[in-house]
Amino acid sequence: MYRVVFATVSFAFFAFHAATAFAGTVAVIVNSSNAHKSMSAGEIRGLYTNATLEWPDGTPVTLYDLAISDPVRSVFSEAVLSKSPIKAAEEWAHLKITNQAKNPPIAIKSEALIVRRVSREKGAIGYVTLEAARQKEGVRIVNIFQN
Amino acid sequence: MKTSFKAMLFIMLLSFFLAPPVLAQEETGGGSELEKLRTENEEIRKRLDTLELDNEEARHSFGMLSRFVEVSGYADAEFYLTDKDGESSRFRVRHLSLFFIKDIQKEWKLFSEIEYEDAPLIESAHTTDDAANVQGKLFVEQMYVEYHPDLAWDIRFGRFLTPAGIWNIYHYPPYVPTQERPLMVRKIFPQVSDGVQARYSFNTGGYTFDTHLYAANGAGNPGRLDRNENKAMGARLNAGHGALSSGISLYAERDNSGVERRAAGAHFMANLSPFKFQAEYQYRDNDPETGAGFIDRGFYAQVMYDIGAWTFAARYDWYDPDSGSKDADMFRYTGALNYHFAENVVAKAEYNRNELESGEDYNEAIFSIVVAIGDL
Repeated sequence: MYRVVFATVSFAFFAFHAATAFAGTVAVIVNSSNAHKSMSAGEIRGLYTNATLEWPDGTPVTLYDLAISDPVRSVFSEAVLSKSPIKAAEEWAHLKITNQAKNPPIAIKSEALIVRRVSREKGAIGYVTLEAARQKEGVRIVNIFQN
Repeated sequence: MKTSFKAMLFIMLLSFFLAPPVLAQEETGGGSELEKLRTENEEIRKRLDTLELDNEEARHSFGMLSRFVEVSGYADAEFYLTDKDGESSRFRVRHLSLFFIKDIQKEWKLFSEIEYEDAPLIESAHTTDDAANVQGKLFVEQMYVEYHPDLAWDIRFGRFLTPAGIWNIYHYPPYVPTQERPLMVRKIFPQVSDGVQARYSFNTGGYTFDTHLYAANGAGNPGRLDRNENKAMGARLNAGHGALSSGISLYAERDNSGVERRAAGAHFMANLSPFKFQAEYQYRDNDPETGAGFIDRGFYAQVMYDIGAWTFAARYDWYDPDSGSKDADMFRYTGALNYHFAENVVAKAEYNRNELESGEDYNEAIFSIVVAIGDL
C-alpha cells in the first residue's frame, strides 16, 4: 500500500516537474535600432528591477514579460533576477499596489507578439525562446540564458 | 494457354514502352502542381500567423483600453489568539482594501484606496453607539491626482502614504510576512499625509536614487481639521546599488497643540534572494510650547528566507514612546511562516511575544489567509 502511495506521489512530482521544466535557450531581444550589441545579465537586471528607466540615448525602456506560468519566464527569472517568477511577480505587485512601480513590465502570453512588439518599438526589450527570436526582422539578440 | 501467355507478354511489353513517357509526363505536371500548392500553403500559413498575431494584439490592446477604471486591492481574514488580559480569541475579517485607479490622460492618473477594516457596519441603529462600540472602520487611505510626464519624476496632490522608511510605504498584507506591523510604525512618522508630494529618481555612479519631498497638513490633520497655518515638511532619500538599498527620512511639523515635532529615520534593505533583510530606526523629538519635551523612538530588524512556496520570517521590535519614562519600553519577538498558494494567495501563521517594561507581557498567535485582487 505504502509503495503504491509512494510511487504515485513520486510519479506526480516528476510528471509535474517534467511538464513545467523548459530545457531550451532563452534569448533576450531588443529593437534592431538599439545601440546595444550585447548586454550583461546585470544590465538586463537593472532594467527589469527599474534601476534603469532609459536607454543611453534617452529613449524610455518598455519591458515585456511572459506569463507567470510560462516556463521560459522561469528560466529568465532564475537566470537574471535570481528569483522565481512568483516571487518577482509579488515584488512587482507590491510596488504596483503602492504606486511605486516606476516602469512595470507588460505581461504578454505570446512569444510571437513580444517579438513583434520589440521589432516595432525602439525602447522595447523582451525575452523569448532562441527559436522564436532567431532570424526575426527588426530584433537583435543581446544575450542568451540556458536552464 | 500459349496464346494467352503471348498476349500477356505483348501487353506487358507494350506497357513498358508506352507507360514511361505518360508517367513522366504526369510526374512533371504533378510536381509543378505540388510545388504550387506548397507555396500557396506556405503563404496561407503566413497569413494565418499574421491574422492570429493581429487578433492577439487587438485582444491585448482592447484589454488595456477596456479598463475604464482599474480595480485592485487585497483582503484578509484571520483567527487571533492571545493571553492578553481583557482580550479574547476571535475570528476577524480584518481588511478589505479596494484600489480604484484611472489613467485620466497619458500623463494624469487618479489613485485611490478605500479601506474597510473589521467589516464596518453603518446603519441608523448604530448612530448612537459610542466610539468603543462602533464596528469597523471605513477609511480613505489614499486619494491623489498624479502628474507623471516622465518615468523619472511625478507630482501627487491629495492624500498619500507618508514617504518614510520602508514599512510605511511597503506594508500590504499579501506581500509582508506578518499581519502585525512593527511597533513604531505610524507612531513616529504619520501613516498618511494630506498635501503635495514630488518624486524624482535618477542614476549616478552605479547607484539608483529615489527622492521624495512633500508638504502636508501634519499628523492627525486631515482636511478641515488642520487648525494652524504651519505646514509639515518631509523628505525621503533612498539609494540602491544592486541588491542593497538604504536611506533616510525626515519630517518636521508644529501640531495643533503647538508641539514642535522633528522626526528622523534611517532604513536598510538587502534583497539577497532567497534571503531578505530589512531594518529601520526612527527617532522623534517632541518640543511643546510649555512643559517638558520628550523623545519617542523605535527600531526593528526583520529577516526572511524563501524556500519554494514557503517563507520563514523573524523580527525583533522595540519601541520607546517616552525616553524620559523608565518603564515605557515595549519589545516584541516575532516568528512567522507563510505559504504562497500563488502569487496572489498566501496563508500566514505568526507568533508574537510581547514584553512590556511595565510588566504586562503577553503572547499572540495569528492565522490568516490573504488574497490580492486585480491585475497586479
